Amino acid sequence: MNTNKSLVVALYTFKEILKSKILLNVFFVGLGLMIVTYVATEFTYGVPERVAVDFGLGMLSLSSIAISLFLGVGLLSKEIESRTVYMIISRPIHRYSFIIGKILGLMGIQLVNLVVLSGMILSASYLLGGEVNSLLIWTVGFIFLESLLLLLVVSFVSLLANNVLTVLFSLVILLLGHSIKETQNSLFVQKNPLLNGLLEIYHFVLPAFYKLNLKDFVIYEKSLPLSYLGNSLIYGVVYSTALLFLIIAVFNRKNLD
Amino acid sequence: MIHFNKVTKVFKTDIFTPPFCALDGVDFTVPEGSMVGFLGANGAGKTTSLKIIMDFIRPSSGNVIFDKSLGSSKLEIFKNIGFLPERPYFYPNLTGEEFIHFMGKLSEVPSSQIKHEISVWAPKFKIDYALKRELKTYSKGMLQRVGFLATILHHPKLVILDEPISGLDPIGRKELKDVIVEIQREGKTIFFSSHIVPDVEEICDRVIFLKEGKLIYDGPVNTLLSTNIGQDFLFVLGDTELKDFSTPFKQKVKLPDNFSKYVVAAQDKDKFLNEAIQKNANIISIDSVRPSLEEIFYHTQVSK
Ligand SMILES: Nc1ncnc2c1ncn2[C@@H]1O[C@H](COP(=O)(O)OP(=O)(O)O)[C@@H](O)[C@H]1O
Ligand SMILES: [Mg+2]
Repeated sequence: MNTNKSLVVALYTFKEILKSKILLNVFFVGLGLMIVTYVATEFTYGVPERVAVDFGLGMLSLSSIAISLFLGVGLLSKEIESRTVYMIISRPIHRYSFIIGKILGLMGIQLVNLVVLSGMILSASYLLGGEVNSLLIWTVGFIFLESLLLLLVVSFVSLLANNVLTVLFSLVILLLGHSIKETQNSLFVQKNPLLNGLLEIYHFVLPAFYKLNLKDFVIYEKSLPLSYLGNSLIYGVVYSTALLFLIIAVFNRKNLD
Repeated sequence: MIHFNKVTKVFKTDIFTPPFCALDGVDFTVPEGSMVGFLGANGAGKTTSLKIIMDFIRPSSGNVIFDKSLGSSKLEIFKNIGFLPERPYFYPNLTGEEFIHFMGKLSEVPSSQIKHEISVWAPKFKIDYALKRELKTYSKGMLQRVGFLATILHHPKLVILDEPISGLDPIGRKELKDVIVEIQREGKTIFFSSHIVPDVEEICDRVIFLKEGKLIYDGPVNTLLSTNIGQDFLFVLGDTELKDFSTPFKQKVKLPDNFSKYVVAAQDKDKFLNEAIQKNANIISIDSVRPSLEEIFYHTQVSK
């Protein structure tokens, strides 16, 4: 009955966002993507399908991040501010079902975005003579996981801070999470066991987003070792689950006034 | 139905402002099957109390005890409650119908029954014509009606409404009051807050009266009306320009055509009447003056 209620919340959250015409933007991003790809491939010698995939994945990743950031920031806080949350949690539903439903609803929007844009990328790549390899699918899947992780970060921060701070703070966490890989690989850090240890701890405290970024590989490799993919997948899923529990714990204790 | 058990709520906003006591040991009960008005000026603590009942916020001390007939777990209890928040706000891009289905499904009402309930209630609320429109196109009154419909469509045993008729036009208020009375006749318990005294006086049989976070009164409306007064009597005498009465009276007002109105305290009523007869006064009418709930409302001081 309770998963059921989450799904009800998810369904109407999805509907509400879908009808807010925000996905129209996604459509335009897609359109722009195709035009840019077309222009770029016309002017590139050699590997137009790589350019298409490169551009496409960049756009897909950016739009997923934008959705998680800018729709995620209001996902819970707007419910509280505008008191719609009262209408829902005065019904026979657990607070955690409400949270899960809201997250699922927005991830539904992410999925639509992902399916539309990656469909375009794959077909563009195919039409230009590229091959669709499994790494490309993994990359798209990881973009989805990254957007979930970011959405959870945004949701968590939004329970504690106002909207502007939430976006800024989440953005910083996202950028940090992508850049610690370079930091970790730098000679200075590798020679310094203390710093190295600190960066290891970072993976537990803050999300190491770089683990979910396969875009740099996809252009030059056909596949990655399954252990690397599996590791990253497990990291993403475990981190997301833990964060979800944290959000629920905070929301359960929260005074909704 | 509900026992609001010695509830105190202290808000601590930040370190610069002192803690604010919004509710101070408030204790009342809402009996089953009754229509209870929750009265108090703006800021008296009504919404805070209702939020505590609905578990949106937690009391600093005290608790809320629900009747066993509502259920034993929180989910069971909430299945039997219909709650309409103050100034409800809805999802702007959902249609009225979608919103009602959303709420109905959360309350475990099957889709077919939701449709049935809509067909029964929407015409009564005069909202049927707009259900396919998005909520952002609704007026305030229309939102209130849709919200009300969603509040009662799962046949809750207990209906809790926060300021349901404030801010509506007179016709809207009348219509909503009619529906509230109708659902109470079906045996439901209704608990609604209002800062508008006549609305409570008109339809409630009990009143809970809050002032500055303290409970002033909890009981029948009639008892509040009749105990809170030295009852006055109103004499209207005609024709004659009477010499001064020796019986004390509170007030004399000259009316047109040589009529005069006297306000007399209850204990002086008989004496005044005798004197009027002796003086051969033309007695037009004698009435008891009952203060309205409104007068009591504004004159009661916080004494505890
Ligand atoms: N979250 C809060 N923080 C601080 N003060 C609050 C909070 N919520 C309500 N109050 C105060 O508590 C008092 C009662 O408010 P409320 O219950 O909304 O009154 P009513 O519904 O009777 O008009 C008001 O003085 C209000 O300012
Ligand atoms: Mg209020």
